[in-house]
Amino acid sequence: MSSSSSDASGFVSRLRAWAVESLGWDDLAHLAAKKEVPIHRYTIYYYLGGMALFLFSVQVATGILLLLYYRPSASEAFESVQYVMADVPFGWLVRSIHSWGANLFVAVIVFHAVSVFFLKAYRRPREMTWVTGAVLLFLALGFGFSGYLLPWNTLAYFATKVGTDVPAQIPGIGHLLSRILRGGSDVTGATLSRFYGIHIAILPALTTVFLGAHLILVQRHGMSIPTKVDRNGKIRAMPFLPDFLLRDSVGWLIAVAVLAALAAFWPWELGVKADPFAPAPAGIRPEWYFLWTFQGLKYLPAKVLGIPGETLGVLLLGAVAGVFVILPFLDRKNSRSWNVVAILALCGMALLTVLSLLPAKASP
Amino acid sequence: MKTRWLVLAAAAALLAPFAAAAESSTSRPTKKPAPTTTCIDCHLALDDPSVTPPAKLFQGDDVHAKAGFTCVFCHGGDGAASDQELAHDKKKGFIGKPAPRDIPQVCGKCHSDAAVMKQFNPSLRVDQLAEYRTSGHGKKLAEGDTHVAQCASCHGAHGILPVKDSRSPVATRHIAETCKRCHGDAALMATYKLPSDVYSKYTKSVHYQARVKGDLSAPTCNSCHGNHGAAPPEVGSVANVCGTCHATFAEQFKVSPHWEAFKELGLPGCVTCHENHEIVRPTEAFLSEGSESRCSSCHEPSSPGGKAAAEMRADLLSLATETQQARQTLERAAEAGMEVSKIRFSLSQADDALTRARASIHRFQVAAVRENAAAGLSVAKSAHQAANRALAERDYRRRGLFVSLALILATIASLLAAIRERERRRSERGVS
Repeated sequence: MSSSSSDASGFVSRLRAWAVESLGWDDLAHLAAKKEVPIHRYTIYYYLGGMALFLFSVQVATGILLLLYYRPSASEAFESVQYVMADVPFGWLVRSIHSWGANLFVAVIVFHAVSVFFLKAYRRPREMTWVTGAVLLFLALGFGFSGYLLPWNTLAYFATKVGTDVPAQIPGIGHLLSRILRGGSDVTGATLSRFYGIHIAILPALTTVFLGAHLILVQRHGMSIPTKVDRNGKIRAMPFLPDFLLRDSVGWLIAVAVLAALAAFWPWELGVKADPFAPAPAGIRPEWYFLWTFQGLKYLPAKVLGIPGETLGVLLLGAVAGVFVILPFLDRKNSRSWNVVAILALCGMALLTVLSLLPAKASP
Repeated sequence: MKTRWLVLAAAAALLAPFAAAAESSTSRPTKKPAPTTTCIDCHLALDDPSVTPPAKLFQGDDVHAKAGFTCVFCHGGDGAASDQELAHDKKKGFIGKPAPRDIPQVCGKCHSDAAVMKQFNPSLRVDQLAEYRTSGHGKKLAEGDTHVAQCASCHGAHGILPVKDSRSPVATRHIAETCKRCHGDAALMATYKLPSDVYSKYTKSVHYQARVKGDLSAPTCNSCHGNHGAAPPEVGSVANVCGTCHATFAEQFKVSPHWEAFKELGLPGCVTCHENHEIVRPTEAFLSEGSESRCSSCHEPSSPGGKAAAEMRADLLSLATETQQARQTLERAAEAGMEVSKIRFSLSQADDALTRARASIHRFQVAAVRENAAAGLSVAKSAHQAANRALAERDYRRRGLFVSLALILATIASLLAAIRERERRRSERGVS
């Protein structure tokens, strides 16, 4: 008995020695031991980044599993998802978690961005952490938009038609951009192949780069302490390993429980296979995170100062996105006026979202 | 001065055809003559309820006015004359208001002339007058009965709209109400010993219900009775009339034992069981012994015919019940979010089999019904089993979820305990 335990401890020692020599284990362990998370009344917001990372990992894992069965062509996409939902063991679970997880992921990173903004965590020297995070938010929206079409159902098909019309409003390059996105003049099987490529290769590659940069910057600068926290008193901290990670794990387990419950009680609907020759059904809507833009573009008049309303809307959205990305460089003094702008913008987005969900008035 | 003469000469040239038309009401109209407003002007100015409303109506969307026709084409007289006596000169063909018995002839003047109609609407048939003469209405009119319908009764006299115009009284949407104006008049119908409840019966029919739901291809009065040659289908031709739409049923009925038997008995084919105007949705009860039964009115339940009806009913009910139960189970599974499109497709095949089995009733042979019902029953049972499996899968998922949640909660509890323990130790270290 004692001989076997000494053999085991000898193996662990040898493994550790190998890890120290080959992987620089001691440096990593030192880094992990040194990393601390401040404790104050806003600490809870620190969990949002970890939650987003966890949900992204869930998306990657379930996405890889779906790849094993999904066939990206107009004639087979819907049937392959149908097969996953009906015949593949636990296929329904994987697909439902992927679909519900995508929504939860977007919700968490939006909440993460909002909390970072109001806590002014992007202030110097963390500007680039915000910039990479903002790009990651847009990449997540890109994942959502490209993934929405992949089941090739009626709702997704027509929503994508509307969605890919939006870039066509950009003056000069709009139509070219729309054609590039669609792989032609209309949404067809070519669009599906293209969106599939974007969803599983281009966006993951870009995300890897920006996520890597984001994590390195977070590690480099550590957690930002909000300006509202009294710095005169001593700020307590907890070690990242294992205290913060244990708390993170509780949140992740709750997320898993929520996703499992959603998948079991409300499996993600597949709908009806897309028929490009059928008329567009009533009530076409994009995913909830695009509803405010969808509704906002509807309210624009046909012409504003001679410029087509939709063109103006798209240019305005582009400008807002640009401002959002470079916000830390514009808000150098952590001005409260930016908070007012953000609150107004969030209220506007929420109002437009609610308006888009209201039942359409029956035509007379 | 020279210009004035030119204008007068041009006006004379333009008015020449109308002067000729005014001279003889039987002369052929030419396409789109220039309009004259003299008749209208006077009749509007008179403000007389007997002559003004027609002028007003003719001024509106009247199809003839739009085609360039003027009052004189039907009423004769001199449309260019501003004096009443001259305008209403009988020497110039003035006939005033045509008598009802003359109206088909007045309309037929153009509508029976292919050469005239070709100029305005080449696709319009020119045999309406001939057809009308074969109709119940036409025959009575020829006998001198002026209470029956003639052209103006249905189309109107002035303000006539094309049949395709949804406002027209003879547009497909309004035909039944137009016929009802007379055929719903109890006093008028009593004089012809005809029922006046045909419209109210028709409104209870599947045909009317389909039209209410927007299916304008469903039959209305003229679909079965004809329009200009309107007459009830004769006993021997009922199956042919119904068969224009219900072709499968008619074909099966014609090879059934009932075809010859009905002819011998003088029974009017389809309407013997389905009624004529109050054609309700057929059910399996038609084959039963109750008040809704159709078979038992001729076949005693204990007779071979009665027994065959009972067997066919049992086969149909068996399939209908199984399909309905399968659908209920399927919908419960679908509401739970289960992917059931394949089962739904199978069930639609069972529905098709039920329709075929019901249609094969018209052969009145048990074997024909049983063959279709048995095929459908097999499909419906498979679909029902698949729907039950989907429900079982739903329950399995939920049980699995509760087990997983229990494990997750246990893990969370352990983690919280570990976190609390570490906090306790840290606070102890802090205190010490």
